[in-house]
Amino acid sequence: MNDSTHFDEDLLNTLHTVAGAGIHNAARGFSSLLGHQIQVLNPVVRVVPILEIPRYVGGPESEAIGIYLRAEGDIAGQIMLIIPYQKGLELVDLLMDVPAGTTKQLGSLERSALGEVGNLTGTFFLNAVANLTGTSVRPTPPAVIVDMVGAILDIIIATTGGVTDRVILMQAEFIDGERSVETNFWVIPDPTTLKTFRNGVPSEA
Amino acid sequence: MNDPINVGLGERVISADPADVLVAYGLGSCLGISMYDPVRRLCGMIHAVLPQRMNGAEPDSARFVDSGIEGLIHEMERRGADPRRSIFRMAGGANMLLASGVSHTFDIGTRNIESALRTFQRLGIVLKAKDVGGNLGRTVRLYVADGRMTVRILNGKEQEL
Repeated sequence: MNDSTHFDEDLLNTLHTVAGAGIHNAARGFSSLLGHQIQVLNPVVRVVPILEIPRYVGGPESEAIGIYLRAEGDIAGQIMLIIPYQKGLELVDLLMDVPAGTTKQLGSLERSALGEVGNLTGTFFLNAVANLTGTSVRPTPPAVIVDMVGAILDIIIATTGGVTDRVILMQAEFIDGERSVETNFWVIPDPTTLKTFRNGVPSEA
Repeated sequence: MNDPINVGLGERVISADPADVLVAYGLGSCLGISMYDPVRRLCGMIHAVLPQRMNGAEPDSARFVDSGIEGLIHEMERRGADPRRSIFRMAGGANMLLASGVSHTFDIGTRNIESALRTFQRLGIVLKAKDVGGNLGRTVRLYVADGRMTVRILNGKEQEL
């Protein structure tokens, strides 16, 4: 199925606007969770073929943490945050306010902390989308998965395969003083949602 | 031994070079399905993503379990393999969201397994071995030299299937 018509230039510009606002809003959510200011460095937004995803995240067999949410409401779609495993442990250190290298593995407490990261970033991201498009949208509770990158990505590939061949990738680096954590967000709007973006946002917004 | 040949999402790879190893890395709900003809020493593997071929897709597309299996057999036959003496194995089909509330809606893994079993039954083929389901990702290797297939999970050892 050819979806090139779904991702034309105008729509891509709109998505850049929405996603850029969403990522900065997500950083604010992150900041309030940690109780101090978090910066976002160089958010990059691009549309990439689904089949190329693994090479953006260290190869299909490397160990990673996936935080997965679905967006429900006027806009439907999926959000996946992927963090390399070691970076995820560092993120937990940062969340727990302990020295880097303290967290060695993910127990239930650490997993729920990461789930909360997904919850907050997802909620703030979706709020920005909702504000820009004048729609109502909310995230489902997050699922936290630790496994090979390829296996985690199958979650979004399987649920979009055949309907759309490309997904929106947002790469952002969250900075907290000397520490930084790189994240990849994959946003996969359902086809009807792309129509909402197209109709709902002025391209110069 | 040559560098491993990556069998990527929706791909089919066939080799008769004994130094080759075909690898499908990090299978989640996807299925790695292999065929080995011990007489011709020919190996083939697909990395199928979805259970059933969609309208408009190539009739032998390896992206789908059903058309992927048929395409694998046809291409192997074209290169001299005989499916009646060939060994078939498969691995993958995990439900990566087993523990979460959204699992039932999107259990593609189980549907992939069911589609494969149906297709093999329709074609009168008996699987020699399978390692499917559960909620862990798998890397699958097929050694052309002897047709051996192995499965590895995260932080685990390679196990022969």
